[in-house]
Order: sequence, then structure tokens, then C-alpha cells
Amino acid sequence: MSDIAQNPLVNLSEELAERTRLARPLVAGIVAQGHRVRSGTLWRKDVAVASEQAFPDIAEAKINFADGTSLPARLAGRDPGTNIIAFRLDGTPEPAPLPAAEPRPGSLVLAFGADETGISVRLGVIYSVGPEWHSRAGGRIDRRIILDTGLTRRDEGGPVVDAAGGLLGISTLGPRGRALVIPSTTIEGVLKPLLSKGRVERGWLGLALQPVLVPEVLQSQSGQSRGLMVMSVSQDSPAAQANLHPGDILLAIGGESVASPRVVARRLGPDSVGQRIDLRLIRAGGIISVAATVGTRPSG
Amino acid sequence: MSTPARAVPTRLRVCVLASDEPTRKRLAALVAESGHQLAELSEPADVVLTDGILGADAAASTVALGAADEMFGGRLPNDATAAQVDAALRAVAAGLTVRGPSEPDRIFDPMPEEIAVPLTPRELEVLAAIGNGLSNKAAARRLGISPHTVKFHLESLFRKLDAKSRAEAVAKGLRRHIVEF
Repeated sequence: MSDIAQNPLVNLSEELAERTRLARPLVAGIVAQGHRVRSGTLWRKDVAVASEQAFPDIAEAKINFADGTSLPARLAGRDPGTNIIAFRLDGTPEPAPLPAAEPRPGSLVLAFGADETGISVRLGVIYSVGPEWHSRAGGRIDRRIILDTGLTRRDEGGPVVDAAGGLLGISTLGPRGRALVIPSTTIEGVLKPLLSKGRVERGWLGLALQPVLVPEVLQSQSGQSRGLMVMSVSQDSPAAQANLHPGDILLAIGGESVASPRVVARRLGPDSVGQRIDLRLIRAGGIISVAATVGTRPSG
Repeated sequence: MSTPARAVPTRLRVCVLASDEPTRKRLAALVAESGHQLAELSEPADVVLTDGILGADAAASTVALGAADEMFGGRLPNDATAAQVDAALRAVAAGLTVRGPSEPDRIFDPMPEEIAVPLTPRELEVLAAIGNGLSNKAAARRLGISPHTVKFHLESLFRKLDAKSRAEAVAKGLRRHIVEF
């Protein structure tokens, strides 16, 4: 007869429950007037983070913890680029999450959320791990970590913890209902500007761009078959000041060819604001160069 | 003719669930204003109207004001009018899902991947004109080409985008791939 203590399933179950117990102090239930509880993660003793897209309109909130304590919190900053919103709160004990191991496909993770009863838990595996990626809103995320668990609007933003109890990051709802993880390193990277300025500044030109084939007659002269066509130019934007027009085809930015929008996103990171940048364009059948001064991307 | 899944009475019995008394009164007033009958908690009801804070057992037949939780059959903004509340209550009672126009539908999505077959500049211009609601003739005039050429580009667009209508071509070829910088 097998001893219960040696039953691996029972052991696994006990371990998961223990991990859950240890993660409880990290789970923040964020309650704003007129809304159901939404999830967040206690990042430092005075900072909670959550999924920015889950809070389209919030200034003040109450944050409930699994031990029954409840603290007032106020919005400190939001960054649609990395989908992180930060709240300031007073007086919790410093949380002590462990650094997570390198994420690997197939490793077990626990994704926590807050609900009316305290916390909710999902068990899953890391479905895939990819390199850094850019969001449509222009933010750079260090890793593309996808989980195989489901996720709802209520539990996105809670902590995601690996099998050893390390904090991988926070969960967020991606396209087609996929559960993504915003890695801890990405959160650390944006927290400083978020807490000091309330936002993360990124470069902006004021262009709406769409991938396009370079006309055949210009392919050999430009050395590329793809570019980005200017579909519209925002009024009074850096691009408007540099005299760009709809119909221009962007070939290169800062000397780097733009076969995909990602190149542009990389070039317009936080450091690019205020810099002069060269734009190589096709206009009226010829290739020209103009210089623009990078502005600051409007928020929202 | 097929019969509706559920026959909906003109005057619905609506149960109100709210987190506090002022909200309960406001919701009850909306029920009255929209011409329906308030049902007590213990009475049978056709639909529930809530401020979204109290969880309801029958979420599918619940209309929530100011709550975006997808479990509710009806989701309206907090400042919905009595007419909107009336329409939502009827729709949800009939087994439909309702959402308000102002409900945020943001999804944190990646920058579009590279396109396998990018469109040519001319195809994009034709698509943009069509997307602005222009007819072939009007698009031709705007672009200074013949309607025949517009038609030629459209056929190429439909093929490249595997689209069967102008709206589908605009959705697939234009909106999805535009990125703002």
C-alpha cells in the first residue's frame, strides 16, 4: 500500500497550495467606485501594478489584500505601451518575491487574481517563450511569454509565479483571449519614469504608416522591395514640420531600412525624444532625405 | 417563419441588485422610467438590473451598468439612458448579448507582423479611397485614373487579401496594418 506522503499527486497538490499561500501577500484586489474588484500585484511595499487596459478611467482606488487588510491607493502613472498602470499606497509590509528563473516552455506556473473572496488561482504551463516584442502602442516588452491558461478581465494584472515561487511578472489579456506575461524586468524598467512623471515618454513623429511594396522601378535604386507608406500626417506634428505628406514612402529611419514597423518602434524609444533623425523617402518617383525632430508620443 | 427562442412580454419584471441604497433607488427609477415592473428579490423576475458590484446567479440575464465584466449578458455605461436600459432589458430577456458603444474594447496587441504580400502604393490609394466610402467612379476621379483601372486594382486587392467585399478588403488590407508613430 502506498504511503500518502509518497503519493506524487498529493505532493504536487500540497506544493501548489503552499506556493499559493506564499504568494497571497502579492495579490492586490483593486476596487474603484462603481466597479467590481480587478486584480493587481503588490510590487513594492508602496507600489502596486496592474494591467493598464483594465483601468480605462481611474484616479483613486482601494486595494484589498488576501489577509483582509484594505488600503487607499492613488494612481501614480500609466503606460499603454507596456500595458502597465502603477498605484501608490501607504503602509504595507515589504513583499519579498523571489526573482524568477529563466522562463522555459513547459514549466509550471501559477497565475493569481483577486476576487471578492480573496484570491483566485490558475495553474498552467508556459506555452511559448519568444524574444523581445513591441506592442502596437510602441512599448518594448523584453520577452514574449504566453501561458496556456485562460484569463479574464477580472484576473489579468495579478502575479504570475514559477514553480520555485519566483515572480515572472504580471498576467495580461492579449489578442484572441491569450494570457500573456509582462515580465518583471519590463515592469522594473518602466516603473521609475511612471512613478516620477506618471508616464513613459516615447518618440513620436505623427505618422500613420502601412507596409507597402516599393515600386519596381525604384527597387534597385533604393536597395529594398518594401517600405512604409505614409497614410496620414498629424497636424503640427514633427512629421508635418518636416513637410511629410500622405503618399510618401518611408524607406529608412536613422539610416536603418524599414521593412517592418518594428524597426520604427525600435528607433523611437524613450531615448529618441528631442533627437534629429534622418528619414529616407520615396516621393514623386524619386528618393529624398529629410530630417525631423522626434517629439513625444501623446498618451492614450 | 421561425419563432423566437423566447417570447418576451412587453412589460418585464425586473429585479434590481445594487451595492448601496442610493444606487438601488437610481436603478429602480430607471426600471420605472423604461416602463417595466420592479420585482422584489423574492419574486420571479425576467431580468436583473445591477450596478455590477453584486454578483448575480443568472449573469446571462443580467444587465449591468458601469461594469465591463463579460459574464453579464448586458453591459451598459453608467450614464445609460432609460431608452437604452429598456432596449437592453428586452434584448437580454430575449437571450441576446448587449454591449454599450462606449465600452472600452482595448486589447494589448503586438505591432503587426510583416505582411506576406504587401500591397502596391496604387492599391493602397484605391483601398483608402474605397475605405472613405467612395464609389469606383469617385475614387477614379480623386486618383486621376480611369474607373476601369480602379476596377483592375480592386480585383487584384480582393485576390491578395482573399476578400469578398469592399468592406472586407478595407478591414483586412488597411485598418489592421496601419501603425501610428
